[in-house]
Amino acid sequence: MGVIRFDNVGRVFGSKAKPFVALKDINLEVSNKEFVAIVGPSGCGKTTCLRLVAGFDFPSSGRVLVDETEIRRPRPERAVVFQQFALFPWKTVYANIELGLRNQNVARAEREDRIRQILELMNLEPYRDHFPHQLSGGMQQRVAIARAYVLDPEVLLMDEPFGALDAQTRVVMQEELVRLARRNPRTVLFITHAVEEAVYLADRVAIMTRAPGRIKEVLDVRSIREAEKWDSYEKIEDVMDLESFVHLRTHIWRSLREEKAAAAA
Amino acid sequence: MPRRLQIGGATILVLVILWYLSTTVFGLIAPGRFPSPQATIDALGHVLFRGYAGGTLIEHIFNSLRLVILGFLVAVATGVPLGLLMGWNRTAEALINPVFLIIRPIPPLAWIPLAILWLGLGDSAKILVIWFAAFVPSVINTYAGVRTIEKPVLEAAAMLGTPRLRFIREVLVPASSPMIFTGLRLSLQASWTTLVAAELVGAFYGLGRVLNVAQQDLYPGMILVGMIAVAILGWATTKALGKLEMRALSWNQAAALAGRG
Amino acid sequence: MPKRIDFTRSLVLGLGGLIAFLGLWYGLSASGIVPPLFLPTPFEVLDRFIDLLDRRFAGATLPAHLAASFERFAYGFLLAAIVGIPLGLLMGWFRILDEIVSPIFDGLRFIAPIAWVPFAALWFGTGIGGPILIIFAGAFPPCVINAYRGAKFVDPRLIEAANMLGTPNRRVITEILLPASVPSIISGLRVSAGLGWQSLVGAELIVASTGVGYMMVQGQANLSTTTVMSGMIAIGLVGLALDTALRFAERLIERRRGMET
Repeated sequence: MGVIRFDNVGRVFGSKAKPFVALKDINLEVSNKEFVAIVGPSGCGKTTCLRLVAGFDFPSSGRVLVDETEIRRPRPERAVVFQQFALFPWKTVYANIELGLRNQNVARAEREDRIRQILELMNLEPYRDHFPHQLSGGMQQRVAIARAYVLDPEVLLMDEPFGALDAQTRVVMQEELVRLARRNPRTVLFITHAVEEAVYLADRVAIMTRAPGRIKEVLDVRSIREAEKWDSYEKIEDVMDLESFVHLRTHIWRSLREEKAAAAA
Repeated sequence: MPRRLQIGGATILVLVILWYLSTTVFGLIAPGRFPSPQATIDALGHVLFRGYAGGTLIEHIFNSLRLVILGFLVAVATGVPLGLLMGWNRTAEALINPVFLIIRPIPPLAWIPLAILWLGLGDSAKILVIWFAAFVPSVINTYAGVRTIEKPVLEAAAMLGTPRLRFIREVLVPASSPMIFTGLRLSLQASWTTLVAAELVGAFYGLGRVLNVAQQDLYPGMILVGMIAVAILGWATTKALGKLEMRALSWNQAAALAGRG
Repeated sequence: MPKRIDFTRSLVLGLGGLIAFLGLWYGLSASGIVPPLFLPTPFEVLDRFIDLLDRRFAGATLPAHLAASFERFAYGFLLAAIVGIPLGLLMGWFRILDEIVSPIFDGLRFIAPIAWVPFAALWFGTGIGGPILIIFAGAFPPCVINAYRGAKFVDPRLIEAANMLGTPNRRVITEILLPASVPSIISGLRVSAGLGWQSLVGAELIVASTGVGYMMVQGQANLSTTTVMSGMIAIGLVGLALDTALRFAERLIERRRGMET
């Protein structure tokens, strides 16, 4: 299982005298093996949402639950892929992926087996003995995704994972993630500020507003994707040309812009 | 041969010729002030074969090197763990930092009289004073090293469920190791300076003792031999540490580049 | 992640750490576990420190000793800055000078400043000249190295921009190269002051006949631990003041350049 539930979650930073309300009344449920993306302007608290599920941070009010259990600390069952990759630069690709398995006391032979599989899946075999600094940004992020996926986590948390990549690499990674997610589905919470990315990847897209961070709207992408057979197209640009895609994207843009106008007024 | 090496070699050669000319041929520098090349070689032969200030050069070198390494190791073995603790544990930091802030401004050499008062002129006083001297840079740089670890790396380790001991060994220490090595280099330098000073103030053997006796004997050749020996040993130990660093930090591109440059 | 703790808690812990440190010291001394001759209580040291403010020991009061030390330090440090900074800048700008001076400099750098003591005494005596040479030996390398780095590693785009704007060469030096290297020079001065001050202490322990270092050696010879510790405190305080002043200058410049971290 891997059901995430935000139950009236609020998060306040700063001192009592000068509080900053980062999140207010967040209610969201991500069902098992569902891919939900949160989009919003920077500083809207979307990363805070992810950190609450990861167990890096805790709500000031309300509860964050995974399978109806409140989160107390980071666990490998809720694997995180960071925007800055956060690979261990002193460990090889192999050792980076291996650490989580060792922590779970997986036997050596099985470790080797599972790592070989994930390396193959992510097209990383030639780099198993490389150090992170010897790889390009895209390759490094592949390793970070492999490090999370190899643990077979119930929940995968991705915090703007492609935000630090150049546009071309980003597209390739998005396509690969779609392939991976369809083949090996997980409960995914995906944070991004790129609207296209959210629409392309997610089953549902939650739109967040800023100060205080609230969920404004949740869109069902999956029904449209399945109706319009997006997955039959191999390339992202073909999907992005479809009228249904354009329509959804424009809707989200408009929704975000209304927010901005409201904030400016 | 690269241009840099050529010019460097030429410079050294010119200097040696100038040295020879000004001391031996033209007598511009009085022999009582600075030794001629011949006087220096004689002094080297003297201390090497007949011994000077209580021992031969090899014995003095061995003694100084032994004390530096012992003191350095004690300082590192205590300083690095304390730095890790202070960097990682806020309570330990809050508790220890003020005491540290008071002790830190006292220069290493200022501990020498106290160490002699406590332990006399023997080896234990030297090790104590090297420990005091080399401890501070080890602690400070390790502490700073832990503090500069990027937060996502720590979060990644937590997310992967890394147990405490493995976390210290495989994440905390390697992540701070570039700074730890900076600390070790400074500690090593402090160790040498302190040892030479302590031996100059009072000792039975050692290169500082050679310098001290040579100064009292007005023996410039021997002073120069002593200084060169100190420089070579300082250089050699620093190089050895640099090799170790290159090996330990081979994963770190920046360090590898810095080590080469 | 290191858990954050709030300000009051860290204040309480810090005070607790200090009190525990002083309490341990007091306990060891007052209970007689360590003979009071070797480890006087903190109060006795404080008492002696205040006493030395107007009582002569080893020929002068503590402030007079400090003044003598500081005078030597100021001369040595200024000399190091006046010679070292221009040398470093020129080495950074002119490759040929870099290639000629670097091998000499690298050789001399490994001689611990304190190893100059015998020659310093031989050449300039033990009054003010000898100690100045030793302070100079300590303070000189950081001045050169940082000025060199500052001059060498100026962002080439700045120079390109200046050239693009048709800036004459002399103005490139005064308005681009020099200001660009100022932050590095200032940090060099800070390191330099620390090493110079420490070398001064070493020099005074060995060769001087006035100054705080001399006072401490006399204290050690008279088995007056309180005097030695008072000297350590005085040296620490002056060192701290020097460092704070230069750190302030460093911050000021960084802030004006918007380099704050």
